[in-house]
Parts: sequence; C-alpha cells; structure tokens
Amino acid sequence: MTDDRFEQWLPEAARDYHRPPATPREEMWRRIAAQRAARRHRVVVLGPALRWGVGIAAVLALGVAIGRWSVTEPEAGLRALAARGADPASALAYQLAAAQYLTRTEALLTGFRAESRAGEPGPGTQFSTQARDLLATTRLMLDSPAARDVRLKGLLEDLELVLAQIAQLRSSGNREDVQSINQGLEQRSVLLRLRTASPAGPGSVRMQGAL
Amino acid sequence: MDERELIAKVRAGDGAAERALYDAHVDRVYRLAYRLAGDDELAREFTQDTFVRAFERLGSFRGEAKLSTWLHAIATSVALNGLRKAKRFRARETDLDDAAAISGSRRAAEPDLKRRLAQAIDGLPTGYRTVFVMHDVEGFTHEEIGATLGIEAGTSKAQLSRARAKLRATLADFAGEWIS
Repeated sequence: MTDDRFEQWLPEAARDYHRPPATPREEMWRRIAAQRAARRHRVVVLGPALRWGVGIAAVLALGVAIGRWSVTEPEAGLRALAARGADPASALAYQLAAAQYLTRTEALLTGFRAESRAGEPGPGTQFSTQARDLLATTRLMLDSPAARDVRLKGLLEDLELVLAQIAQLRSSGNREDVQSINQGLEQRSVLLRLRTASPAGPGSVRMQGAL
Repeated sequence: MDERELIAKVRAGDGAAERALYDAHVDRVYRLAYRLAGDDELAREFTQDTFVRAFERLGSFRGEAKLSTWLHAIATSVALNGLRKAKRFRARETDLDDAAAISGSRRAAEPDLKRRLAQAIDGLPTGYRTVFVMHDVEGFTHEEIGATLGIEAGTSKAQLSRARAKLRATLADFAGEWIS
C-alpha cells in the first residue's frame, strides 16, 4: 500500500459518507419562520416591559377616571372613593381593554378568512402587521386577570397560535399556510367562540354577514 | 444584489432579503450538517438553528469574514454541540480502536469497505473528523476550515493528515482494494 494511492482513493470513497439527500428547503424555511416568530413574540412580551407597563397604567388611569366620573356624591372623601371605586375601576378598565382587543381580533380573522376564501393570491401581507400587534396584546391579556376565566384563557391561547401563524405569512402568501390557518380556525371554532366572548355592539354587528 | 446590500436589507427587516440569504446558503449548510450528523432529522434541526441564530446575530456580523464562513462557523458549532447531546449519534459512534480490532477479521467486498470506512470516520476524534469531512468530503479549503473553526490553516492540515493516517491504519486490512 502507498500513501499516495490511499490518499487518491480516500476522498473518492468518502463521498458516500453520510451522503445528504436533496435539501428540504421549504419545510426548513417554514420551521425557521415559526421559530423566529415565537422568539420575537417572547421578546416583544418580555423585553420592553416598561412600554407595557405604561400601557397598563394608561388603561388603569382611564378606568380610574371613569370610576371618578361615575361617582354621584361630590362631597365623598378620598377614602370613600377608594373603597367604592378602586376594584370596579380596575375591572372596568380590563373589560374595556378586552372588549377592544376582541373586536379588533374578530375583525382581523373575519377579514382574513373572507379574503382567503375569495381566492386572493396573498392574503397574508396586509394582515401580518395587525396580527403582530394583536399577538403582543394577546400575551398581555394572557398575563392579565382576564385569563383567570378558563374559557377566555382557552380562547386567548388559540388566538395566540392563529395570530402567530398569520404574523409569519410572507408576501407570497403560501396557500398551504393559509389553508392550515383556516383549518385551525374551523377545527377550534375560534371565530364562533370569539363572537360569543365579544361584547355586542357595532364592531361585532358590522362583521356579521361577512362570512 | 451583492452580499453587503443583502445583509443591510436583512438587518432592516426585509423578509424577501431574509429568504434570499437563506436560499443562497442553505444547501451548503444542510450538506455540512448532514455530513456531520448522518441523520436527516438532526441535520434539519442543526440547519434551522443555524439560520435562526444567524438572523438574530446578523447585527453583530462585521463583515471581516465572508458571510458563508460566518454561517459555516455557526453551523459547525451548532452541529458539534448538538451531536454531543444526541444519544442517537453516540449509540452509532464506534470507537476507532474497536474498529481496528474488527478490521483484522476478514477481507470483504467493496460495500463492506465503504461501510467500514464510514465506521472508521465516525470513530475519529471530533476535531479530526470535522476537518476530514469538511476537506475531503465537502471540499472546503484549509483556509476556509481554519476561518470556520477558528484554527490556523496549518492546524487544519495537520489534523487532516492525522485523520488520514488513522483511517489508513484502521483500514489496513483492505489495502488491496485501493491499490487495485
């Protein structure tokens, strides 16, 4: 045996070592996009805590203001105001925030489904930005007292998944991804549950008949 | 679009540029991951992790090396760390000395030689195997290997030489196969 012959033979023979199949580009890309969306999502929720703190404070301030405005006895002292208004004001603030969020989410999902059913080539682009915003709010809602309600928590978790999928849609609007989102909406009755949870009003009424 | 422009667009959050960057490099990253892992599922996992990390860290890429070298450095780091954790790979790993002992048993046909060669490569120490796979199997240059693994090109050459010597010793029983 000679070193030269071996070194000529070796690279040729080694080409079969762990010979890779064709690169599964699309499948890996979808997973990468999903992983990145999930990470971005966590960063959005955990990173700028201050921004959310300010948001929560604003909502609570609105609730407190409404609570004060609803006090009918102008001579009531600060102690009486706190005793009567503090918890209901917070509850009202959460209700307002939840109502606004549910209405916006309902409008987004209804619009998304209607467009994808109409065979639009790429229904993802115009919805993905809104979905990202709502996704962040969903996490906020899941961390709020609203999630103490088991039914609402389940709905929020389903919405989190659906919104994450929509947020990942690329401009090309992959039909399989859109189909998968719509299947998820159907199977989990997300829109029905969302409408049940949404307060009655112009927002909900406006979307009726769109499906 | 040149690489610098592509990187700038990815940093600015351009989804199409992200996909273009992925398309330009995914084949080589996946091939390298597969060659090191020998398992499709692990190779996919390593490739995905490589791109997720690359997109996250692209802001810190200073352009001192080529983007492909930077990506391959992430890929080898992800793959080698992942393989240390992967029990499946450990179960398949054959100690080089064991392989040498088996080699004395009998000569066999070409398919058996290739199987034995694969076992012998699996049994190389990690550093040798990585350099061998990158150079002799995937065709990286010593300069590229050095930049990817953070070693001198000379070290890469020395490791390749030792890897080949170990393989030659392990496969000594099959000498006739390559001489002919």
